[in-house]
Amino acid sequence: MYAIEVEKLRKEFKSYSSRSGLAGAFRDLFTRNYKIIRAVDDISFTVKQGEMVGYIGENGAGKSTTIKMLTGILTPTSGRVVVNGMNPHKERERFVQTIGVVFGQRSQLWWDIAVQESFRLLKKVYRVSDQDYNEHMDHVIETLDIGPLLDKPVRKLSLGQRMRCELAAALIHNPPLLFLDEPTIGLDVLVKLKIRQFLKEINEKYNTTILLTTHDMTDIEALCERVIMLDEGKIIYDGSLQRLKQNWGEGKQIHFQFRDIVSKEELMLLVDATWEQGEDRYSWIAHVRATDMAHVIGKVVSSYELKDIHIREVSTEEIIRNIYEEGIHHG
Amino acid sequence: MFYISIFFQYMSQYVKTKLQYRTDLLVEFLSDLMFQGVNLIFILVVFGHTQLLNGWTRDEIIFIYGFFLVPFALFAAFFNIWDFNERYIVRGEMDRVLTRPVHSLFQIVLERMELESLLGGITGLIVMGYAASRLHLSFHWYDVILFVLFVLGGTFVYAGIFISLASISFWSDARSSIMPMMYNIGNYGRYPVDIYNRVIRYVLTWILPFAFVGVYPSAYFLRKTEWYTYSFLTPVMGIVCFTLSVLLWNAGVKRYRGAGN
Amino acid sequence: MGKYIEMIRMRFLMMLAYRTNYYSGIFIYSINIGAYYFLWSAIYGGQPSIQGMTVEQMTTYVAIAWMARAFYFNNIDREIAMEIREGKVAIELIRPYNYLVMKTMQGLGEGIFRLLFFSLPGMIIVTFVFSLQFTANVHTWGYFALSTMFSFIINSQLNLIAGMVTFFTLNGEGLLRAKRFVIDLFSGLILPISFYPEWAQHVMHYLPFQAISYIPSMIFTESFTGDAVMKGMMFQAVWCVVLIVPIYVLWKAAKRKLIIQGG
Repeated sequence: MYAIEVEKLRKEFKSYSSRSGLAGAFRDLFTRNYKIIRAVDDISFTVKQGEMVGYIGENGAGKSTTIKMLTGILTPTSGRVVVNGMNPHKERERFVQTIGVVFGQRSQLWWDIAVQESFRLLKKVYRVSDQDYNEHMDHVIETLDIGPLLDKPVRKLSLGQRMRCELAAALIHNPPLLFLDEPTIGLDVLVKLKIRQFLKEINEKYNTTILLTTHDMTDIEALCERVIMLDEGKIIYDGSLQRLKQNWGEGKQIHFQFRDIVSKEELMLLVDATWEQGEDRYSWIAHVRATDMAHVIGKVVSSYELKDIHIREVSTEEIIRNIYEEGIHHG
Repeated sequence: MFYISIFFQYMSQYVKTKLQYRTDLLVEFLSDLMFQGVNLIFILVVFGHTQLLNGWTRDEIIFIYGFFLVPFALFAAFFNIWDFNERYIVRGEMDRVLTRPVHSLFQIVLERMELESLLGGITGLIVMGYAASRLHLSFHWYDVILFVLFVLGGTFVYAGIFISLASISFWSDARSSIMPMMYNIGNYGRYPVDIYNRVIRYVLTWILPFAFVGVYPSAYFLRKTEWYTYSFLTPVMGIVCFTLSVLLWNAGVKRYRGAGN
Repeated sequence: MGKYIEMIRMRFLMMLAYRTNYYSGIFIYSINIGAYYFLWSAIYGGQPSIQGMTVEQMTTYVAIAWMARAFYFNNIDREIAMEIREGKVAIELIRPYNYLVMKTMQGLGEGIFRLLFFSLPGMIIVTFVFSLQFTANVHTWGYFALSTMFSFIINSQLNLIAGMVTFFTLNGEGLLRAKRFVIDLFSGLILPISFYPEWAQHVMHYLPFQAISYIPSMIFTESFTGDAVMKGMMFQAVWCVVLIVPIYVLWKAAKRKLIIQGG
């Protein structure tokens, strides 16, 4: 039994481009240039119950559109989508009872009233019994540490406080599936850690499936074993984060701090690696394969005097950036 | 049952919110009162220069206006979603609405309700009472039931028209100025439709049936027997209008494109 | 000056982008004018004239009043109130133009658009359907054009004032709504001022509102002739100048408040 099944899912939008200038605008009045944009292009994937999946891609890659189709907000142009055994947009009201959604940039809570009032209303909306509510939410409120915030109106909360409340609000009916769209955007590190910790916990406790979109790769690293990567509406990678790192991130970065000024040409002559300048003309970074590491260090150390040296793994962020810049093929 | 309990839940939320902004409430009352005053002044000034409007007296016109205010107040309290496009489509609030297990239109009605508008209904009753006493109208016990039916009919006619207009936002992303203009057209239902020519009378009866919010139902209480057929059609028109608009809405939700695309 | 003309052009293009407005607008304007036409015909009943105006003059008055409204009407009061609330005015202040002039120019761009795309086609349709009385006198058209320009200026000035006042009050929305009713009622849009009781006319003579709709419409229908035309336009010109004072004072105060509060 899959939590999410998607097959050849496609969403097209019609958009029009306007002609330039006054004369063009007049022409637009009568005929317009239409263009079909395929935001999501025949994607297929499945997610098992209890999985935590990172859904990543650049702006406009089709992440939000996919999430909106999975949550029943948008109707797909074509393809099959079954979430929690239902067709999201066809049985919307019954379906949304089984999911929780957090949009990082949009509030679910009522702006002017105390947080607990919003909770009470949502409890009614999702038809949660008092017993279930108390049992489940007491734990949620405690773990997210939002007890002291409950009697404050949302507009008086800081972004981090609000976000924790949003998360709690999305979990009032204890849904088996949780969609998080940029849940940590703009938050400071401590709040991020707290939220990640919490998500892990509910995943373990209730076997909640979580689909997460984010720009913050550290979120993905902390939470998701599996990532789905999107580019121009197509899935370009679907698999474990581990494998992604092994295939595209096996390189290392060696930071050298020289005693004297060194030029790139000299270094290139010395060892054949990708050299990049650091903060100043004394520091250089070599991008090398793990197997070449010893060789490169040996060469440099024997030729120059060094003040400092350290080795760094390539971060997931950089891996992703490289993939988008160079394409996935060379892996 | 579920929907009723949700309704009261939202209502209590609404009251809590409103009580935080008490001065706003006062200002809204006053501006509503002014709105009603403008129209009343128009009628009074006009009848300073004429005795009859196509056979209708001043007090009859005032009675129609008073009646009109009651369904209009109900409409304004619950279905006044003129800013639906701005608020829900452009700003993407519709996304949030669609992730909750309650019919989307019902949620929006609840979120946008403005109960203070109901006060306009009281003004309407007072205006009607004043006109009725000057006209020496007499009422039967069952007139109360008919009054409620006609008021609800009128409310749903208004609601139907405005919901349909709001639904257009699902198809066209253009910001529309139709809504504010529609209030002007709604006003014409307050005058006896026999002063208009055939085309406008037809429009006000069958296309934008605003006449069912004012003159048609009022004609019954004014004992204008020649209009009775239309008077009794009021609840039917209300149901038809409202049903069509909800169907249009449901079709629109399927077309929803989401914000920021 | 170039940048302000660019503003007009920009707003014009923006309006042009909303094409459903363009189609529906004409239809609704026609219905609007049409309904008033019949209402007034019924009010006149058999009477040849009321307050010195014939039924033809009256229906023409209504039609032209609405047509002119499309030109002078704008939402800059609401826009200013919103930009103040969202703190955008602070950003506007560091731009190299005068915020108030810029807003007025945007209003003008909108006005020109509506004049060309709503009023003119709407008017052509309306004149085919109803019997309206358009003068052949070139001078009247000239005076009317000038007088409507004044209408635009005075209405925009009042909008600027109302928009800025919201900066100092808690509830802007209520204030703006109230302002709109006052203008609808006292500008002569729905009722010529001459229809009001004597005492009310007297009070209104000390207020700027009739300069917005009453005076240009009376000029157009030739209900004002000779001296009355000049007197009407003088009335408008004087108010144009007088209203600069509260605008200046409010703007000074608003800027001071902005600097202290930071928006």
